[in-house]
Amino acid sequence: MTAAKYLKIGFGIVVIAALIIVPMNFNRYGLFILSQWAVMTIAAMGLNLTLGYAGQVSLAQGAFVGIGAYTAAIMTSNGLPLIGALGVAIVLCFAIGWILGYPALRVQHHYLAFVTLAFSTLAFLVFRNEDWLTKGIYGISNIPRPELFGYPTRRPLPFYYVCLGSLGIVSLAVWWLIRSPWGRAFIALRENPVRALSLGIDTRRYTLMAFAIGSALGGVAGTLYAPLTQYVDPVPFHLSLSLDLLMMVIVGGSGFFFGPFLGAMIAVLLPEWLRFTQGYYLMLYAIAVILLLIYSPTGILGILDRFISERRTKAASAQRAVAKAKLEVTP
Amino acid sequence: MKPVFLASALLATVLTGAAIAQSGAPIKLANVAELSGGGATVGTNWKNGIDLAIEEINSKGGVLGRKLEVTHADSQSNPGVARAQVQKALDAEPYVLLGPGYSGSVKVTAPLAAEAGIAQIMGGEAAELTQAGNKFLFRTSFGQQSSMPKVAKYINDELKAKSVAIVWVNNDFGKGGRDSISKEFAKYNIKVAADLSTEAGQADFAADVSKIKAAAPDAVFVYVNEEESARILKELKRQGITVPLVGETTLVGQKVVELAGDAANGARGHVGLTTDAPVELIKAFRDKFVKKYNYVPDHNGLKGWLAIYMIKATTEKMGKVDSKGFADALHGFTITAAKEPGILMDATFDANGDIDRQGFLVEIVEGKQVVKQVLPKLNN
Repeated sequence: MTAAKYLKIGFGIVVIAALIIVPMNFNRYGLFILSQWAVMTIAAMGLNLTLGYAGQVSLAQGAFVGIGAYTAAIMTSNGLPLIGALGVAIVLCFAIGWILGYPALRVQHHYLAFVTLAFSTLAFLVFRNEDWLTKGIYGISNIPRPELFGYPTRRPLPFYYVCLGSLGIVSLAVWWLIRSPWGRAFIALRENPVRALSLGIDTRRYTLMAFAIGSALGGVAGTLYAPLTQYVDPVPFHLSLSLDLLMMVIVGGSGFFFGPFLGAMIAVLLPEWLRFTQGYYLMLYAIAVILLLIYSPTGILGILDRFISERRTKAASAQRAVAKAKLEVTP
Repeated sequence: MKPVFLASALLATVLTGAAIAQSGAPIKLANVAELSGGGATVGTNWKNGIDLAIEEINSKGGVLGRKLEVTHADSQSNPGVARAQVQKALDAEPYVLLGPGYSGSVKVTAPLAAEAGIAQIMGGEAAELTQAGNKFLFRTSFGQQSSMPKVAKYINDELKAKSVAIVWVNNDFGKGGRDSISKEFAKYNIKVAADLSTEAGQADFAADVSKIKAAAPDAVFVYVNEEESARILKELKRQGITVPLVGETTLVGQKVVELAGDAANGARGHVGLTTDAPVELIKAFRDKFVKKYNYVPDHNGLKGWLAIYMIKATTEKMGKVDSKGFADALHGFTITAAKEPGILMDATFDANGDIDRQGFLVEIVEGKQVVKQVLPKLNN
């Protein structure tokens, strides 16, 4: 292993340790915001798979978070365990995501965005109008927080660890996925679907798969969202959440593994930091995002990527120059 | 001995110093409201009402000699964000928590305030909010469970209607009103001829009105926001519907009259809290508000103002700034306008935190709101 690799691993361990240890002294507000960050990161990772790796534009991720949240809310307030709700939400979102993927086989880019936008509106109407199931516009309140291995997680700190732990598990799973043949197939799909097809990749199946897995992660985020706020109503799962998640992926760096982490951090934490400006905080936040995307359309990690590849190019040209010089010297 | 003596003397000075600072320090309030998103009008009116009241109280020397100070936080009209902001506000241990205005956001934050033992004065109107046994939650306006029975009684006794069409806006405000009044109609055996849900911000009511026309009811109950009220009134007039049009607060507001013009004539309704009420103190409030903010507030502006005066009256009744005792002191307390003009109209708070106050039945006659009947407080 090279020194750079050790450095990377060391940095990762420091970040993880900080995420575990530092919040111990946080107040309830800080813990809530961090938990929200963890939950939104999971949803954004799902969208990053669909959008960043497989290249399919989706404006329905918020709806899947909603489906997960409602599944958790309905099941746990009827006394069923959260882990069961998690299973149901994953299966449900996977299946619906798979079905929603079919239009993606025929339409691309903004046309696909329209199809998923329609689905997003449809999901909102179901949440709001099907009173018998979702309690309509009144929402479901007093959602219990789960007990894990006999430990209650009602207090903010234990529940933050539930969110962080889930984020850890999901991260590992996605890390593995994008390094598996599936992940490579997703990227091939994004880069050039015709070539991917000619290389024997079943683009049809992988397109559906990208949608289904991404949506299932939205469902996972939703099952955590419900016990986090302990109240669900249809409004937070309207189109704006899907757009927020889309922004998180793009701002963080679409197609980068760590993009959603940074994107969610910006979308959840930046407005909170800017709150001291009172009425201007949302405006400043919007301006900051616009400036960032003008400067680097590939997001924050895009800047880093550019910097690293420039350095590599420079190093390579330096080596080339040396080699060339050597060649010229030796007769 | 000497160092101990010195130390205790020092400690005593510091403690008394702290105590003096305490009694002169501002009383901290925290407001969490819908300052952006779908509820921005609600939250902004509420916030401005609060600021106006605080400014007035502070210019007159504050409460028990201490100034009031408020922090405003934006819930983005989202219950999740509201929860975070209320958590943040409670971590700073305010004297009283103000807001939010949306019933959903109240539902998610009320348990937090109750757990912290801090009174919460809010703007939500959904019936169930004060029925969950929360001892720290207070309304600033009638809940739908107290306004809708009055409307239903009027429709039954005065209009003698046997069938009514209900038009409501599909959010927690509209749905709550629709559910409450349907229950009341059932008691009087009034048939719901048409039950029409509309969207917030809906522009075209032609289809809804033709459904009403087809159902041929004896009266129409309209429960949508002000702008939409004006639009549907115009459409009702255009399609020649002449049966009585009844509403609650929103249908007969000044803004509706301005927007709907002639079409508003004949519209009537129950009004619990309105800046158009024929009460001198309310007119004075309205003038002050318009002078400072250059627009006529809706009832949320009044609610924010009242919340602050509820705090003032209750604190003066207790004679001390006691966050823990505040809720107990406000339960069962009647604030009279004679003693505390800021409360505008006599108001009593019951054990659930519900408010009891005069109401009005008004009708729009030639573009003016005319009070037809003053409904007394339920319990005098």
